[in-house]
Amino acid sequence: MKPSTQTSNQLVEHFFRHESANLVSVLTRVFGFSQLQLVEDTVQSALLEALEHWKINGIPDNPAAWVHRVAKNKTLDALRRKNTETKVFAHLENDLRGSGQAAAVEFESLFEPQAIEDSLLRMMFACCHPNLDRHSQIALTLKILCGFGVREIASALLMTEEGARKRVYRAKSMLAEANVGLELPSEAELSDRVAAVNEVLYLMFNEGYQSATADQVIREDVCEEACRLCHLLCQSSIADSKNANGSSSALLALMLYHAARLKSRTDDDGGLVMLEDQDRGMWDQNLIGHANHWLNKSSKGKLTTFHLEAAILQTHCRARNFSETDWTTIVKLYDRLMEIHPTPIYQLNRAIAVGASGEIDEAIDSIKRISDDPKLKNYFLLDCTLAHLFRKAGQTELAIKHLNQAMELAKAEHEKALIRNRIREIEVGS
Amino acid sequence: MANYLFLYRESGDAHADLSPEDMQKVMQSWMGWIGEAMKSGWMTAPGDALKPGGVIVAADKSVTDGPFAESKEIIGGYSIITADSYEHAAKLSEGCPVYAVGGKVEIRELAMVEITN
Repeated sequence: MKPSTQTSNQLVEHFFRHESANLVSVLTRVFGFSQLQLVEDTVQSALLEALEHWKINGIPDNPAAWVHRVAKNKTLDALRRKNTETKVFAHLENDLRGSGQAAAVEFESLFEPQAIEDSLLRMMFACCHPNLDRHSQIALTLKILCGFGVREIASALLMTEEGARKRVYRAKSMLAEANVGLELPSEAELSDRVAAVNEVLYLMFNEGYQSATADQVIREDVCEEACRLCHLLCQSSIADSKNANGSSSALLALMLYHAARLKSRTDDDGGLVMLEDQDRGMWDQNLIGHANHWLNKSSKGKLTTFHLEAAILQTHCRARNFSETDWTTIVKLYDRLMEIHPTPIYQLNRAIAVGASGEIDEAIDSIKRISDDPKLKNYFLLDCTLAHLFRKAGQTELAIKHLNQAMELAKAEHEKALIRNRIREIEVGS
Repeated sequence: MANYLFLYRESGDAHADLSPEDMQKVMQSWMGWIGEAMKSGWMTAPGDALKPGGVIVAADKSVTDGPFAESKEIIGGYSIITADSYEHAAKLSEGCPVYAVGGKVEIRELAMVEITN
């Protein structure tokens, strides 16, 4: 029996998840999407072997290298098995096994850190392939690039496990049928392809940030993953291309500003805390610093909604307290947003800013102008906002009326709790 | 005090469908349990994991492949512990993460007497 060498090494957080993403991306680069099942089975089996081995023996000095080696060997074994059925991979197997052969050296070099990042980046573009609809892109990104299991995807996207499984399966089949390779987009299509990746990451982040019912841990993981993948994109050579226009950097800044405030957004009971009531001491200044950095870097290209939304958040983060907020700048930024992408949601948020700056009547008027917009129909925050403004204007009856309307529209329990609190506050105050 | 062997028995596919994050959780619970047991001193060696598969050599020297198809249960690994009695050893095994996946701990007293204090 060997001496006790139980190490106290802790694995880095999400090690298995991230290695799953790394290995699936690297191996898919070699075999193509048509062999995704083989690749995923191989990776799962390599990770399980690590689990079974390490759980008793402790973690080796270089756990990533350990898993990579096992995955490489399992890949070659899988190829041998495949080749006994069909000879499809006969060449590849020989080439990869041949020591010193160009293919074998190249295969080996794909496991270098830089090459892994490159494969992840290619995989991001593949998962956000234009043949797939947005929902499928998000599910596939969570599956492959975040290493989420079906249960976790279902929880993050508020769908059934069966639904999540089917969605992922269909997305994979589509990429396999189209025989999508792990290529970086050409310069000509770069702008559109980056925009698609950005949107998927943004939707993913919002799913984690806004989702009313998903498991708290999953939500934070989704936000963290969106930031991680966006960071990867921003650090790549892609981000320097003139056709990428700094939008990914602006998006990263936007997500980091939100993430910096994540902890202050919920109280101990999981209830929502509005901006006005948030403890700004809990805002993560380190993340805000990173966000500032990426927003600065984003300034060279064309202005996008991400730039403006990030700039609005930056303005909030600069204010020491709610009353010191530079509302004039924020209203101007919403005006710019309305110019490039007019939506009633921006209009509503602009009205909130106008109201906060003291122009209550103007704010109420501008909300009334959009209250019939079909996009805001059944949007409980519209009534909450009106209630807030009427209360400030001293019209508590109208405030209560709108809070009651909001209560009918709110779906999630924490939203209802927030509204109930508001009603109680008014009743106690009056 | 006597030495005992813990044999961790679990279904061969107990972990097959785990998501990577769940693997990490299983991993942490084992590391935590073994680390704690070693620190407390009643576990004297964490032991080793056993790879799946294996062969059986029969009396006629014929060799057949494992895993042993008649049972889906495999031995995932073993550790060495010290305890006063089987009862005590069973008590000590209670926090073992193998139970969380419906597995079992087989406890066997080692015949060789080692001088421990």
